[in-house]
Amino acid sequence: MNVPSEHLLYLSAGLFALGLLGFLVRRNVIVVLMCVELMLNAANLAFLAASRQHSTAEHPALQGPVFAIFVITVAAAEAAVGLALVIALYRLKQSAETDAAAEMKG
Amino acid sequence: MTNILFYVLAIVALLGAAGVVLAKSPMGSVVSLLGTFFALAVIYLLAGFQFLAGAQILVYAGAILVLFLFVIMLLNLGAMGSKFELSFAPLQSTRARIAGCIALALALVGLVAAQRASFAAVPERDASAPAIDSMEGLALELFGRYSLPFQATSLLLLVTMVGVIALAKRQRSGDEPAKGEERP
Repeated sequence: MNVPSEHLLYLSAGLFALGLLGFLVRRNVIVVLMCVELMLNAANLAFLAASRQHSTAEHPALQGPVFAIFVITVAAAEAAVGLALVIALYRLKQSAETDAAAEMKG
Repeated sequence: MTNILFYVLAIVALLGAAGVVLAKSPMGSVVSLLGTFFALAVIYLLAGFQFLAGAQILVYAGAILVLFLFVIMLLNLGAMGSKFELSFAPLQSTRARIAGCIALALALVGLVAAQRASFAAVPERDASAPAIDSMEGLALELFGRYSLPFQATSLLLLVTMVGVIALAKRQRSGDEPAKGEERP
């Protein structure tokens, strides 16, 4: 395909905005974590779009894919810790809503 | 032809992302997210990133989403709605309006920035072209120039593993079930 790289970045911006919207709006902690994954995916897409733009046949720009791999690793670690926290919250409050943990609000 | 495929997949990815935000039950969100991940994997493949497309399917769809499914089933949150239904209720509050404005502003900033970048045209890539992220090149980068971050990643995974076990363990040490009569 020879889609201009701008269009990949448009898609990335759209995905990130939807992820941010869900992160701010939804109350279910699991859905909030899924929205974080969505935002990380948007970042990956931006990395890969930049790498694709700067690659030539002789010199592939590998920084993009390498950072995308690091992002995937961090996303996996984040999901594991986040879901363990959800389980701990559920045990404490019998609820997986963000409003259940409101002790520290000012 | 592949250009049209890209635009179709982009729409699928965006619809999936909207489904994550709007689905009534967490199960519906997981299914929408799965659609987004698969669409993105095919987009990576079209853009010439074969290894990343595989990693996307294996790690995101295969590992992370299964983890989400485990937790949803463990906490029995999937029972809230058996059908896939969209709900616009979370979007109808003052908080949601502010959040929507922030997200929209951010998306506009991204769009304008991408618009102003004025990239050079990318040459047509056919299916027989070698991948940008060839295994050889990727391995040379990961174990050469980026070997320190690579090893830091292993430390991160170890810390994550220990942390998750510590978090998910039952806190009360007094009434630990005796061996052989663990709770199901």
